Amino acid sequence: MRAFLLRLIPLGVGIAMLGIWELSVHLTQVPIFVLPPPSAIGHALVDNFATLMGSLWVTLRITALAFFWALVSGLALAIIFTRARLIELALYPYVVTLQVTPVVAIAPLILIWVGFDNVDRALVIIAWIVAFFPMLTNAVQGLRSTEPQLHDVMTLAGASWWQRLYYLELPAALPAMLTGAKISGGLALIGAVVAEFVAGSGASTGLAWRIIEAGNRLEIATLFAALALLSALGIALFYALTLLEWLVLRRWHDSFAKSP
Amino acid sequence: MTGAPELALNNLGLSYPQRGSEAEVVALRDITASFPAGSFTALVGPSGCGKSSLLRLLAGLLSPTQGDMSAVTQSDIGFVFQEPTLLAWRSVYENVALPLKIANRKSGLRAQEIDTRVREALTLVGLETRAKALPRELSGGMKMRVSLARALAKRPPILLMDEPFAALDELTRFRLDDDLRAIWQRQKPTIIFVTHSVTEAAYLAERALVIRAGSLHAEIKIERPKKHTDNFRAAPNFHAACAAISQALADPKEGTS
Repeated sequence: MRAFLLRLIPLGVGIAMLGIWELSVHLTQVPIFVLPPPSAIGHALVDNFATLMGSLWVTLRITALAFFWALVSGLALAIIFTRARLIELALYPYVVTLQVTPVVAIAPLILIWVGFDNVDRALVIIAWIVAFFPMLTNAVQGLRSTEPQLHDVMTLAGASWWQRLYYLELPAALPAMLTGAKISGGLALIGAVVAEFVAGSGASTGLAWRIIEAGNRLEIATLFAALALLSALGIALFYALTLLEWLVLRRWHDSFAKSP
Repeated sequence: MTGAPELALNNLGLSYPQRGSEAEVVALRDITASFPAGSFTALVGPSGCGKSSLLRLLAGLLSPTQGDMSAVTQSDIGFVFQEPTLLAWRSVYENVALPLKIANRKSGLRAQEIDTRVREALTLVGLETRAKALPRELSGGMKMRVSLARALAKRPPILLMDEPFAALDELTRFRLDDDLRAIWQRQKPTIIFVTHSVTEAAYLAERALVIRAGSLHAEIKIERPKKHTDNFRAAPNFHAACAAISQALADPKEGTS
Protein backbone atom coordinates (compact mmCIF):
# COMPACT_ATOMS: atom_id res chain seq x y z
CA MET A 1 0.00 0.00 0.00
CA ARG A 2 2.78 2.38 1.02
CA ALA A 3 4.70 1.45 -2.12
CA PHE A 4 1.60 2.20 -4.19
CA LEU A 5 1.20 5.61 -2.56
CA LEU A 6 4.87 6.35 -3.22
CA ARG A 7 4.24 5.57 -6.87
CA LEU A 8 1.54 8.26 -6.89
CA ILE A 9 3.97 11.00 -5.87
CA PRO A 10 5.26 11.69 -9.42
CA LEU A 11 1.65 11.87 -10.63
CA GLY A 12 0.84 14.41 -7.91
CA VAL A 13 3.89 16.47 -8.85
CA GLY A 14 2.78 16.45 -12.49
CA ILE A 15 -0.75 17.61 -11.70
CA ALA A 16 0.57 20.36 -9.43
CA MET A 17 2.98 21.57 -12.12
CA LEU A 18 0.19 21.67 -14.71
CA GLY A 19 -1.97 23.63 -12.29
CA ILE A 20 0.77 26.20 -11.64
CA TRP A 21 1.40 26.45 -15.39
CA GLU A 22 -2.29 27.04 -16.17
CA LEU A 23 -2.64 29.58 -13.41
CA SER A 24 0.50 31.57 -14.19
CA VAL A 25 -0.35 31.77 -17.90
CA HIS A 26 -3.74 33.25 -17.02
CA LEU A 27 -2.31 35.61 -14.40
CA THR A 28 0.60 36.94 -16.48
CA GLN A 29 -1.41 36.98 -19.73
CA VAL A 30 1.43 35.54 -21.80
CA PRO A 31 0.31 35.46 -25.46
CA ILE A 32 -1.02 32.04 -26.45
CA PHE A 33 1.47 31.78 -29.34
CA VAL A 34 4.35 32.01 -26.85
CA LEU A 35 3.16 29.73 -24.09
CA PRO A 36 -0.30 28.18 -24.30
CA PRO A 37 -1.88 26.93 -21.06
CA PRO A 38 -2.35 23.14 -20.61
CA SER A 39 -6.09 23.52 -21.26
CA ALA A 40 -5.39 24.99 -24.73
CA ILE A 41 -2.97 22.14 -25.45
CA GLY A 42 -5.68 19.69 -24.46
CA HIS A 43 -8.09 21.41 -26.83
CA ALA A 44 -5.53 21.31 -29.63
CA LEU A 45 -5.02 17.61 -29.01
CA VAL A 46 -8.77 16.94 -29.24
CA ASP A 47 -9.30 19.22 -32.26
CA ASN A 48 -6.43 17.70 -34.25
CA PHE A 49 -6.87 14.20 -32.89
CA ALA A 50 -7.17 12.39 -36.21
CA THR A 51 -4.17 14.15 -37.82
CA LEU A 52 -2.04 13.76 -34.72
CA MET A 53 -2.88 10.07 -34.38
CA GLY A 54 -1.98 9.58 -38.03
CA SER A 55 1.35 11.29 -37.39
CA LEU A 56 1.87 9.26 -34.22
CA TRP A 57 1.36 6.12 -36.27
CA VAL A 58 3.94 7.26 -38.86
CA THR A 59 6.57 8.02 -36.20
CA LEU A 60 5.77 4.85 -34.30
CA ARG A 61 6.20 2.78 -37.44
CA ILE A 62 9.59 4.33 -38.27
CA THR A 63 10.73 3.94 -34.66
CA ALA A 64 9.56 0.34 -34.44
CA LEU A 65 11.19 -0.64 -37.74
CA ALA A 66 14.47 1.08 -36.83
CA PHE A 67 14.39 -0.56 -33.40
CA PHE A 68 13.65 -3.97 -34.87
CA TRP A 69 16.56 -3.74 -37.29
CA ALA A 70 18.80 -2.37 -34.54
CA LEU A 71 18.01 -5.45 -32.44
CA VAL A 72 18.50 -7.91 -35.30
CA SER A 73 21.65 -6.34 -36.74
CA GLY A 74 23.16 -5.57 -33.31
CA LEU A 75 22.67 -9.12 -32.11
CA ALA A 76 23.76 -10.73 -35.36
CA LEU A 77 26.89 -8.62 -35.57
CA ALA A 78 27.61 -9.30 -31.88
CA ILE A 79 27.40 -13.04 -32.48
CA ILE A 80 29.73 -12.76 -35.49
CA PHE A 81 32.16 -10.53 -33.56
CA THR A 82 32.35 -12.90 -30.61
CA ARG A 83 32.93 -15.90 -32.86
CA ALA A 84 35.43 -14.40 -35.28
CA ARG A 85 37.98 -12.10 -33.73
CA LEU A 86 39.38 -11.27 -37.16
CA ILE A 87 36.06 -9.94 -38.45
CA GLU A 88 35.66 -7.84 -35.32
CA LEU A 89 39.17 -6.46 -35.77
CA ALA A 90 38.42 -5.62 -39.39
CA LEU A 91 34.98 -4.07 -38.95
CA TYR A 92 34.90 -2.50 -35.51
CA PRO A 93 36.61 0.80 -36.44
CA TYR A 94 34.01 1.38 -39.16
CA VAL A 95 31.15 0.60 -36.84
CA VAL A 96 32.57 3.18 -34.44
CA THR A 97 32.99 5.67 -37.29
CA LEU A 98 29.35 5.23 -38.24
CA GLN A 99 28.39 5.78 -34.63
CA VAL A 100 30.48 8.89 -33.91
CA THR A 101 29.77 10.74 -37.15
CA PRO A 102 26.76 12.98 -36.38
CA VAL A 103 23.78 11.38 -38.09
CA VAL A 104 22.40 14.78 -39.08
CA ALA A 105 25.47 15.15 -41.27
CA ILE A 106 24.97 11.80 -43.00
CA ALA A 107 21.21 12.11 -43.34
CA PRO A 108 21.12 14.25 -46.53
CA LEU A 109 23.26 11.64 -48.29
CA ILE A 110 20.98 8.84 -47.22
CA LEU A 111 17.94 10.81 -48.33
CA ILE A 112 19.50 11.30 -51.74
CA TRP A 113 20.64 7.72 -52.09
CA VAL A 114 17.57 5.85 -50.91
CA GLY A 115 15.00 8.54 -50.17
CA PHE A 116 14.10 9.55 -53.68
CA ASP A 117 11.45 6.97 -54.29
CA ASN A 118 10.90 5.91 -50.70
CA VAL A 119 11.39 8.50 -47.95
CA ASP A 120 10.25 6.11 -45.23
CA ARG A 121 13.07 3.73 -46.02
CA ALA A 122 15.58 6.55 -45.67
CA LEU A 123 14.04 7.60 -42.36
CA VAL A 124 14.24 4.05 -41.02
CA ILE A 125 17.90 3.80 -42.03
CA ILE A 126 18.76 7.10 -40.34
CA ALA A 127 16.97 6.09 -37.13
CA TRP A 128 18.62 2.67 -37.30
CA ILE A 129 22.11 4.25 -37.45
CA VAL A 130 21.33 6.14 -34.27
CA ALA A 131 19.84 3.13 -32.49
CA PHE A 132 21.95 0.13 -33.27
CA PHE A 133 25.29 0.81 -31.56
CA PRO A 134 24.21 0.31 -27.90
CA MET A 135 22.55 -2.95 -28.86
CA LEU A 136 25.76 -4.16 -30.50
CA THR A 137 28.14 -3.18 -27.71
CA ASN A 138 25.89 -4.48 -24.94
CA ALA A 139 25.30 -7.77 -26.75
CA VAL A 140 29.04 -8.20 -27.36
CA GLN A 141 29.78 -7.49 -23.74
CA GLY A 142 27.03 -9.86 -22.62
CA LEU A 143 28.16 -12.69 -24.87
CA ARG A 144 31.73 -12.26 -23.63
CA SER A 145 30.93 -12.17 -19.94
CA THR A 146 29.99 -15.81 -19.57
CA GLU A 147 31.78 -17.59 -16.71
CA PRO A 148 34.77 -19.53 -18.12
CA GLN A 149 33.88 -22.60 -16.04
CA LEU A 150 30.44 -22.73 -17.62
CA HIS A 151 32.24 -22.89 -20.95
CA ASP A 152 34.20 -25.84 -19.56
CA VAL A 153 30.92 -27.54 -18.69
CA MET A 154 29.84 -27.07 -22.31
CA THR A 155 33.18 -28.34 -23.63
CA LEU A 156 32.98 -31.45 -21.45
CA ALA A 157 29.44 -32.08 -22.66
CA GLY A 158 30.73 -31.92 -26.24
CA ALA A 159 28.58 -28.93 -27.18
CA SER A 160 28.66 -27.62 -30.74
CA TRP A 161 29.08 -23.89 -31.26
CA TRP A 162 25.39 -23.26 -31.67
CA GLN A 163 24.52 -25.38 -28.62
CA ARG A 164 26.99 -23.29 -26.65
CA LEU A 165 25.32 -20.17 -28.01
CA TYR A 166 21.78 -21.36 -27.40
CA TYR A 167 22.15 -23.00 -24.00
CA LEU A 168 24.80 -20.77 -22.46
CA GLU A 169 25.87 -17.55 -24.14
CA LEU A 170 22.53 -16.09 -25.24
CA PRO A 171 20.75 -16.63 -21.92
CA ALA A 172 23.80 -15.38 -20.02
CA ALA A 173 23.88 -12.31 -22.26
CA LEU A 174 20.15 -11.56 -21.83
CA PRO A 175 20.56 -8.99 -19.04
CA ALA A 176 23.12 -7.01 -21.03
CA MET A 177 21.09 -7.37 -24.24
CA LEU A 178 17.96 -6.05 -22.54
CA THR A 179 19.92 -3.08 -21.22
CA GLY A 180 21.13 -2.47 -24.76
CA ALA A 181 17.58 -2.81 -26.08
CA LYS A 182 16.30 -0.25 -23.59
CA ILE A 183 18.88 2.29 -24.74
CA SER A 184 18.37 1.42 -28.41
CA GLY A 185 14.59 1.79 -28.08
CA GLY A 186 14.93 5.35 -26.79
CA LEU A 187 17.50 6.18 -29.45
CA ALA A 188 15.31 4.77 -32.23
CA LEU A 189 12.66 7.34 -31.34
CA ILE A 190 15.23 10.14 -31.22
CA GLY A 191 16.60 8.90 -34.54
CA ALA A 192 13.12 8.89 -36.08
CA VAL A 193 12.52 12.49 -34.99
CA VAL A 194 15.94 13.61 -36.25
CA ALA A 195 15.27 11.86 -39.54
CA GLU A 196 11.91 13.56 -39.96
CA PHE A 197 13.46 16.94 -39.17
CA VAL A 198 16.15 16.40 -41.78
CA ALA A 199 13.73 15.12 -44.39
CA GLY A 200 11.82 18.33 -43.72
CA SER A 201 8.75 17.86 -45.83
CA GLY A 202 7.24 15.68 -48.49
CA ALA A 203 5.82 12.27 -47.96
CA SER A 204 6.79 12.04 -44.30
CA THR A 205 4.12 13.33 -41.95
CA GLY A 206 5.21 12.07 -38.57
CA LEU A 207 5.03 13.89 -35.25
CA ALA A 208 8.32 15.72 -35.80
CA TRP A 209 6.97 17.04 -39.09
CA ARG A 210 3.81 18.17 -37.25
CA ILE A 211 6.02 20.03 -34.79
CA ILE A 212 7.82 21.92 -37.56
CA GLU A 213 4.55 22.66 -39.33
CA ALA A 214 2.83 23.90 -36.16
CA GLY A 215 5.87 26.02 -35.32
CA ASN A 216 5.80 27.65 -38.73
CA ARG A 217 2.13 28.44 -38.32
CA LEU A 218 2.60 29.63 -34.73
CA GLU A 219 0.10 27.00 -33.59
CA ILE A 220 2.07 26.50 -30.41
CA ALA A 221 -0.69 24.55 -28.66
CA THR A 222 -0.67 21.97 -31.46
CA LEU A 223 3.11 21.90 -31.27
CA PHE A 224 2.87 21.10 -27.56
CA ALA A 225 0.26 18.43 -28.24
CA ALA A 226 2.58 16.72 -30.72
CA LEU A 227 5.43 17.04 -28.25
CA ALA A 228 3.33 15.44 -25.51
CA LEU A 229 2.52 12.53 -27.82
CA LEU A 230 6.22 12.06 -28.61
CA SER A 231 7.03 11.95 -24.90
CA ALA A 232 4.20 9.51 -24.30
CA LEU A 233 5.54 7.30 -27.07
CA GLY A 234 9.04 7.34 -25.56
CA ILE A 235 7.72 6.57 -22.09
CA ALA A 236 5.53 3.74 -23.37
CA LEU A 237 8.51 2.24 -25.21
CA PHE A 238 10.74 2.46 -22.16
CA TYR A 239 8.24 0.89 -19.79
CA ALA A 240 7.31 -1.82 -22.28
CA LEU A 241 10.98 -2.82 -22.41
CA THR A 242 11.32 -2.56 -18.64
CA LEU A 243 8.31 -4.85 -18.31
CA LEU A 244 9.87 -7.29 -20.75
CA GLU A 245 13.09 -7.24 -18.75
CA TRP A 246 11.19 -7.97 -15.57
CA LEU A 247 9.24 -10.82 -17.18
CA VAL A 248 12.36 -12.44 -18.59
CA LEU A 249 14.79 -11.97 -15.71
CA ARG A 250 12.81 -11.80 -12.48
CA ARG A 251 12.93 -15.52 -11.78
CA TRP A 252 16.66 -16.00 -11.90
CA HIS A 253 18.63 -12.80 -12.16
CA ASP A 254 20.27 -11.31 -9.07
CA SER A 255 19.13 -7.79 -9.92
CA PHE A 256 15.55 -8.87 -9.17
CA ALA A 257 16.38 -10.83 -6.01
CA LYS A 258 14.24 -9.88 -3.04
CA SER A 259 16.40 -8.55 -0.27
CA PRO A 260 16.12 -10.78 2.81
CA MET B 1 30.70 -48.85 -13.65
CA THR B 2 31.62 -51.06 -16.51
CA GLY B 3 34.44 -50.55 -18.93
CA ALA B 4 36.30 -47.94 -16.93
CA PRO B 5 39.66 -47.54 -18.65
CA GLU B 6 42.84 -47.29 -16.70
CA LEU B 7 44.35 -43.83 -16.82
CA ALA B 8 48.12 -43.64 -17.22
CA LEU B 9 50.33 -40.58 -17.29
CA ASN B 10 53.85 -40.84 -18.60
CA ASN B 11 56.36 -38.04 -17.89
CA LEU B 12 53.62 -35.53 -18.29
CA GLY B 13 54.61 -31.88 -18.30
CA LEU B 14 52.77 -28.60 -18.76
CA SER B 15 54.32 -25.20 -19.27
CA TYR B 16 53.05 -22.01 -20.79
CA PRO B 17 54.64 -18.74 -21.86
CA GLN B 18 54.71 -16.00 -19.30
CA ARG B 19 53.28 -12.63 -20.20
CA GLY B 20 56.03 -10.09 -20.77
CA SER B 21 58.87 -12.52 -20.24
CA GLU B 22 60.97 -14.98 -22.20
CA ALA B 23 60.88 -17.58 -19.46
CA GLU B 24 58.15 -20.20 -19.39
CA VAL B 25 56.04 -21.00 -16.38
CA VAL B 26 56.29 -24.67 -15.58
CA ALA B 27 53.01 -25.79 -14.07
CA LEU B 28 53.71 -29.53 -14.03
CA ARG B 29 56.82 -31.59 -14.68
CA ASP B 30 57.55 -35.30 -15.10
CA ILE B 31 54.32 -36.65 -13.71
CA THR B 32 54.19 -40.40 -14.02
CA ALA B 33 51.23 -42.07 -12.40
CA SER B 34 48.46 -44.50 -13.11
CA PHE B 35 44.89 -44.60 -11.95
CA PRO B 36 43.45 -48.13 -12.10
CA ALA B 37 39.81 -48.54 -13.02
CA GLY B 38 37.56 -48.07 -10.00
CA SER B 39 40.24 -46.56 -7.80
CA PHE B 40 39.79 -43.54 -5.55
CA THR B 41 42.77 -41.19 -5.55
CA ALA B 42 43.20 -37.87 -3.78
CA LEU B 43 45.54 -35.27 -5.22
CA VAL B 44 46.81 -33.19 -2.31
CA GLY B 45 48.99 -30.13 -2.34
CA PRO B 46 49.18 -26.47 -1.45
CA SER B 47 47.46 -23.82 -3.57
CA GLY B 48 49.22 -23.24 -6.87
CA CYS B 49 51.07 -26.57 -6.87
CA GLY B 50 49.49 -27.65 -10.15
CA LYS B 51 46.95 -30.15 -8.89
CA SER B 52 44.04 -28.40 -10.61
CA SER B 53 46.05 -28.16 -13.84
CA LEU B 54 46.66 -31.90 -13.64
CA LEU B 55 42.95 -32.49 -13.32
CA ARG B 56 42.21 -30.25 -16.28
CA LEU B 57 44.80 -32.18 -18.31
CA LEU B 58 43.05 -35.43 -17.41
CA ALA B 59 39.74 -33.93 -18.51
CA GLY B 60 41.17 -32.80 -21.83
CA LEU B 61 40.51 -29.14 -21.00
CA LEU B 62 44.27 -28.56 -21.30
CA SER B 63 46.84 -30.34 -23.46
CA PRO B 64 50.18 -31.46 -22.07
CA THR B 65 53.27 -29.80 -23.49
CA GLN B 66 55.40 -32.84 -22.66
CA GLY B 67 54.99 -36.56 -22.22
CA ASP B 68 51.85 -38.47 -22.95
CA MET B 69 48.76 -39.86 -21.34
CA SER B 70 46.23 -42.53 -22.18
CA ALA B 71 43.52 -41.23 -24.43
CA VAL B 72 40.22 -40.56 -22.73
CA THR B 73 37.08 -39.43 -24.45
CA GLN B 74 35.30 -36.58 -22.77
CA SER B 75 32.07 -38.52 -22.72
CA ASP B 76 33.77 -40.89 -20.22
CA ILE B 77 34.41 -38.03 -17.84
CA GLY B 78 32.28 -36.42 -15.19
CA PHE B 79 33.80 -33.21 -13.88
CA VAL B 80 32.86 -31.41 -10.70
CA PHE B 81 34.22 -27.90 -10.31
CA GLN B 82 35.11 -26.03 -7.17
CA GLU B 83 32.12 -23.78 -7.74
CA PRO B 84 28.69 -25.29 -8.51
CA THR B 85 28.83 -23.67 -12.01
CA LEU B 86 25.11 -24.01 -12.65
CA LEU B 87 23.04 -22.17 -15.22
CA ALA B 88 21.12 -19.67 -13.10
CA TRP B 89 18.16 -19.59 -15.49
CA ARG B 90 17.57 -23.33 -15.53
CA SER B 91 15.99 -25.48 -12.87
CA VAL B 92 17.85 -28.14 -10.93
CA TYR B 93 16.37 -30.79 -13.20
CA GLU B 94 17.32 -28.94 -16.39
CA ASN B 95 20.83 -28.28 -15.14
CA VAL B 96 21.38 -31.97 -14.50
CA ALA B 97 19.79 -32.95 -17.80
CA LEU B 98 21.68 -30.43 -19.94
CA PRO B 99 24.92 -32.39 -20.63
CA LEU B 100 22.81 -35.42 -21.57
CA LYS B 101 20.65 -33.32 -23.87
CA ILE B 102 23.73 -31.82 -25.50
CA ALA B 103 25.47 -35.17 -25.88
CA ASN B 104 22.23 -36.58 -27.24
CA ARG B 105 23.18 -35.16 -30.63
CA LYS B 106 25.81 -37.90 -30.82
CA SER B 107 24.70 -40.59 -28.40
CA GLY B 108 21.02 -40.60 -29.35
CA LEU B 109 19.65 -41.17 -25.85
CA ARG B 110 15.89 -41.39 -25.68
CA ALA B 111 14.11 -38.62 -23.79
CA GLN B 112 12.80 -41.24 -21.39
CA GLU B 113 16.29 -42.56 -20.72
CA ILE B 114 17.52 -39.02 -20.01
CA ASP B 115 14.65 -38.55 -17.57
CA THR B 116 15.47 -41.82 -15.79
CA ARG B 117 19.11 -40.89 -15.44
CA VAL B 118 18.42 -37.38 -14.19
CA ARG B 119 15.98 -38.62 -11.56
CA GLU B 120 18.38 -41.34 -10.51
CA ALA B 121 21.24 -38.83 -10.14
CA LEU B 122 19.03 -36.45 -8.18
CA THR B 123 18.01 -39.30 -5.88
CA LEU B 124 21.66 -40.24 -5.36
CA VAL B 125 22.44 -36.76 -4.07
CA GLY B 126 19.17 -36.49 -2.16
CA LEU B 127 17.61 -33.70 -4.18
CA GLU B 128 14.73 -35.53 -5.87
CA THR B 129 12.20 -33.21 -4.24
CA ARG B 130 13.95 -30.02 -5.40
CA ALA B 131 13.98 -30.82 -9.12
CA LYS B 132 11.96 -27.73 -10.02
CA ALA B 133 13.91 -25.26 -7.87
CA LEU B 134 16.17 -22.65 -9.42
CA PRO B 135 19.81 -22.56 -8.28
CA ARG B 136 19.36 -19.32 -6.39
CA GLU B 137 16.73 -20.92 -4.18
CA LEU B 138 19.25 -23.48 -2.92
CA SER B 139 21.94 -23.38 -0.24
CA GLY B 140 25.62 -23.68 -1.14
CA GLY B 141 25.71 -27.36 -0.19
CA MET B 142 22.60 -28.12 -2.26
CA LYS B 143 24.04 -26.35 -5.30
CA MET B 144 27.15 -28.47 -4.97
CA ARG B 145 24.94 -31.57 -4.85
CA VAL B 146 23.28 -30.47 -8.10
CA SER B 147 26.71 -30.08 -9.63
CA LEU B 148 27.61 -33.58 -8.46
CA ALA B 149 24.34 -34.95 -9.83
CA ARG B 150 25.07 -33.33 -13.18
CA ALA B 151 28.40 -35.18 -13.33
CA LEU B 152 26.84 -38.47 -12.17
CA ALA B 153 23.93 -38.36 -14.63
CA LYS B 154 26.37 -39.05 -17.45
CA ARG B 155 27.21 -42.30 -15.60
CA PRO B 156 30.84 -41.57 -16.27
CA PRO B 157 33.45 -44.26 -15.64
CA ILE B 158 35.78 -41.48 -14.52
CA LEU B 159 34.86 -38.77 -12.05
CA LEU B 160 37.22 -35.82 -11.72
CA MET B 161 36.60 -33.48 -8.81
CA ASP B 162 38.37 -30.18 -8.29
CA GLU B 163 38.12 -29.21 -4.60
CA PRO B 164 34.36 -29.61 -4.89
CA PHE B 165 33.51 -29.14 -1.23
CA ALA B 166 36.20 -26.61 -0.31
CA ALA B 167 33.84 -23.66 -0.13
CA LEU B 168 31.31 -25.40 2.13
CA ASP B 169 31.05 -25.38 5.91
CA GLU B 170 32.64 -28.34 7.66
CA LEU B 171 29.46 -30.19 8.64
CA THR B 172 28.07 -30.00 5.11
CA ARG B 173 31.42 -31.10 3.81
CA PHE B 174 31.50 -34.14 6.11
CA ARG B 175 28.05 -35.14 4.92
CA LEU B 176 28.96 -34.78 1.26
CA ASP B 177 32.20 -36.71 1.85
CA ASP B 178 30.16 -39.61 3.21
CA ASP B 179 27.70 -39.39 0.32
CA LEU B 180 30.53 -39.44 -2.16
CA ARG B 181 32.05 -42.52 -0.49
CA ALA B 182 28.66 -44.23 -0.69
CA ILE B 183 28.26 -43.38 -4.36
CA TRP B 184 31.75 -44.62 -5.10
CA GLN B 185 31.17 -47.89 -3.29
CA ARG B 186 27.94 -48.48 -5.12
CA GLN B 187 29.07 -47.54 -8.65
CA LYS B 188 32.86 -47.83 -8.52
CA PRO B 189 33.85 -45.08 -10.92
CA THR B 190 37.49 -44.06 -11.01
CA ILE B 191 37.57 -40.98 -8.81
CA ILE B 192 40.36 -38.43 -8.82
CA PHE B 193 39.68 -35.89 -6.11
CA VAL B 194 41.71 -32.71 -5.77
CA THR B 195 41.83 -31.21 -2.32
CA HIS B 196 44.11 -29.13 -0.14
CA SER B 197 42.67 -30.69 2.98
CA VAL B 198 44.83 -33.44 4.47
CA THR B 199 41.97 -34.89 6.49
CA GLU B 200 39.56 -34.94 3.55
CA ALA B 201 42.12 -36.79 1.43
CA ALA B 202 42.79 -39.33 4.18
CA TYR B 203 39.11 -39.78 4.88
CA LEU B 204 37.98 -40.31 1.30
CA ALA B 205 40.64 -41.96 -0.77
CA GLU B 206 42.48 -45.24 -1.04
CA ARG B 207 45.59 -43.42 -2.07
CA ALA B 208 46.90 -39.88 -1.84
CA LEU B 209 49.28 -38.35 -4.35
CA VAL B 210 51.12 -35.39 -2.85
CA ILE B 211 51.99 -32.74 -5.43
CA ARG B 212 54.45 -29.98 -4.68
CA ALA B 213 55.70 -27.27 -7.01
CA GLY B 214 54.42 -29.07 -10.09
CA SER B 215 55.88 -32.50 -9.46
CA LEU B 216 54.70 -35.67 -7.83
CA HIS B 217 56.27 -35.66 -4.40
CA ALA B 218 54.91 -38.75 -2.68
CA GLU B 219 52.39 -41.54 -3.04
CA ILE B 220 50.70 -42.63 0.16
CA LYS B 221 48.48 -45.68 0.44
CA ILE B 222 45.65 -45.34 2.92
CA GLU B 223 44.80 -48.54 4.75
CA ARG B 224 41.11 -48.61 5.41
CA PRO B 225 38.46 -51.14 6.44
CA LYS B 226 36.47 -52.84 3.68
CA LYS B 227 33.24 -51.29 4.82
CA HIS B 228 33.26 -47.53 5.16
CA THR B 229 31.68 -45.84 8.18
CA ASP B 230 32.20 -42.39 9.55
CA ASN B 231 33.95 -44.06 12.51
CA PHE B 232 36.96 -44.06 10.27
CA ARG B 233 37.70 -40.56 11.50
CA ALA B 234 38.57 -42.08 14.87
CA ALA B 235 40.57 -45.02 13.49
CA PRO B 236 44.37 -45.20 13.95
CA ASN B 237 44.78 -45.81 10.21
CA PHE B 238 43.09 -42.49 9.46
CA HIS B 239 45.47 -40.66 11.79
CA ALA B 240 48.45 -42.50 10.36
CA ALA B 241 47.40 -41.47 6.85
CA CYS B 242 46.93 -37.86 7.92
CA ALA B 243 50.36 -37.88 9.52
CA ALA B 244 51.98 -39.39 6.42
CA ILE B 245 50.34 -36.87 4.07
CA SER B 246 51.20 -33.95 6.35
CA GLN B 247 54.77 -35.13 6.54
CA ALA B 248 55.04 -35.40 2.77
CA LEU B 249 53.63 -31.90 2.44
CA ALA B 250 56.11 -30.51 4.97
CA ASP B 251 59.10 -32.60 3.89
CA PRO B 252 61.96 -30.20 3.06
CA LYS B 253 63.39 -32.63 0.52
CA GLU B 254 62.32 -31.87 -3.06
CA GLY B 255 61.62 -34.44 -5.76
CA THR B 256 59.89 -37.79 -5.78
CA SER B 257 60.28 -39.95 -2.70
